[in-house]
Amino acid sequence: MTISPDSIVYWQWHALTLNATIVFTWLVMLILTVGSWLVTRNLSEGPELSRLQNLLEVVVTGIRDQIAQVSLQNPGPYLPFVGTLFLFIATANLLNIIPGYQAPTGSLSTTAALAICVFIAVPVFGIANRGAGRFLRHYIQPTPLMLPFNIIGELSRTVALAVRLYGNIMSGTVIVAILLSLTPYFFPIVMQLLGLLTGMIQAYIFAVLAMVYIASATSAQEPEKENTQTSPPSHER
Amino acid sequence: MDIDWITVSAQVVNFLVLVWLLKRFLYQPVIRAMDRREQSIRNRVDDAVQREQLAESERDAYQNRIAELEAKREELLEEARQSARQTRSQLLDEAREETARARTNWMREVSEEKSAFIDGLRTQTLEVVDLIARNALRDLADETLEEKMAHSLARQIHHLQQELREALRNSKDAIVINSAFELSSSVRSALTRTIHEQVGSAVAVNYARNADLICGIELIGGGLRIAWNLSDYLNQLTTRIDKAFEPLETQSDEA
Repeated sequence: MTISPDSIVYWQWHALTLNATIVFTWLVMLILTVGSWLVTRNLSEGPELSRLQNLLEVVVTGIRDQIAQVSLQNPGPYLPFVGTLFLFIATANLLNIIPGYQAPTGSLSTTAALAICVFIAVPVFGIANRGAGRFLRHYIQPTPLMLPFNIIGELSRTVALAVRLYGNIMSGTVIVAILLSLTPYFFPIVMQLLGLLTGMIQAYIFAVLAMVYIASATSAQEPEKENTQTSPPSHER
Repeated sequence: MDIDWITVSAQVVNFLVLVWLLKRFLYQPVIRAMDRREQSIRNRVDDAVQREQLAESERDAYQNRIAELEAKREELLEEARQSARQTRSQLLDEAREETARARTNWMREVSEEKSAFIDGLRTQTLEVVDLIARNALRDLADETLEEKMAHSLARQIHHLQQELREALRNSKDAIVINSAFELSSSVRSALTRTIHEQVGSAVAVNYARNADLICGIELIGGGLRIAWNLSDYLNQLTTRIDKAFEPLETQSDEA
């Protein structure tokens, strides 16, 4: 049973393949970009504003507030990265209700790519914020003995990030596929609704965890506090 | 659980492109718009605060001006009242003086009229009383009355003081007895006898008639005049009437 969108190949030339993952990612990108452009090309700066502008402002303000709440820092520098993570995953998951749509987040390649981006963004933001020396020093905190464990933790949380999102979305798709063959009329719809909820929650978790990792690297807090911050178990599924 | 690393790298690129696109088309414009709106609201609020302060200061200024005007008005009113009071009292004084003057004039006129009236009244009264008395006595007068008058004269001669008797006795001319009516011979002889007894037998006595006496009799001689006459009573009456009018005149003078 192959349900990964990676395996749906539309076009191939030598090693280059144009599979469903990439195509639907482009679709999501197109929707997000064109939608944003349509609304923001004539923004109102006065007290009266259109409903769509209001929606976008609510979304952007909400993301900013969440970032500020988690990082306790100015959300400005992190907003494009973390906000795009959330918006991309949320949109990709929400479009699941469209028949024939294959969520790119149901592919391990996509989730791995996003996790790799987070994995690279953490040291980039950390070094940019605190300098290379101070950033690298936190790997040997509290003792140099912890260095291997810190590195392993860094890698494993990246893998966990990727697998968590992939597993949730893929399982939703699989469950609906199985239920469709068993009880085709009513039950799959309920599971689809559940899948929408799961998709939103996963988008939120992914973005917040990314922010937490970045915040732990950029803030001047003690490692113990960082550890307590980096593992909110209630968010993980 | 298969990972296509070409897809992974493509997705990384896709994601980074999306980050740039959203930053370009979503976050920056929206945040800029929100900041500008916030700025404009802040400006408007600042403006409103400034205007409010301005309005407040102007309101204070106007209130001060109103208070000043009120005070000025009150002052002017007070001045006007003062001047009105002064004018009023002045006018009242003038009116009072005028009234007093007019009253004095009037009183003087009244008093003059009254005294003229009283004088006239007195004169008329006297004339009337005099006339009545004279008419009444003229009607009543006869020999009997003359006789009684002669007796009265005789009684007066009888009670005459010694010096006066001496004067009569030493008179060069004869003693004249005037009467309004012709005296009877008996009365004449009685009178002559009395004079001779009291004054002296050498004295001559003449009788004359004088209608002015009305109803009376008089003896003239030696620079003396002894009389019984109604004119005396009438003169007394005149004096009494004058006295009776005196209080009226003083009352009118006081008023």
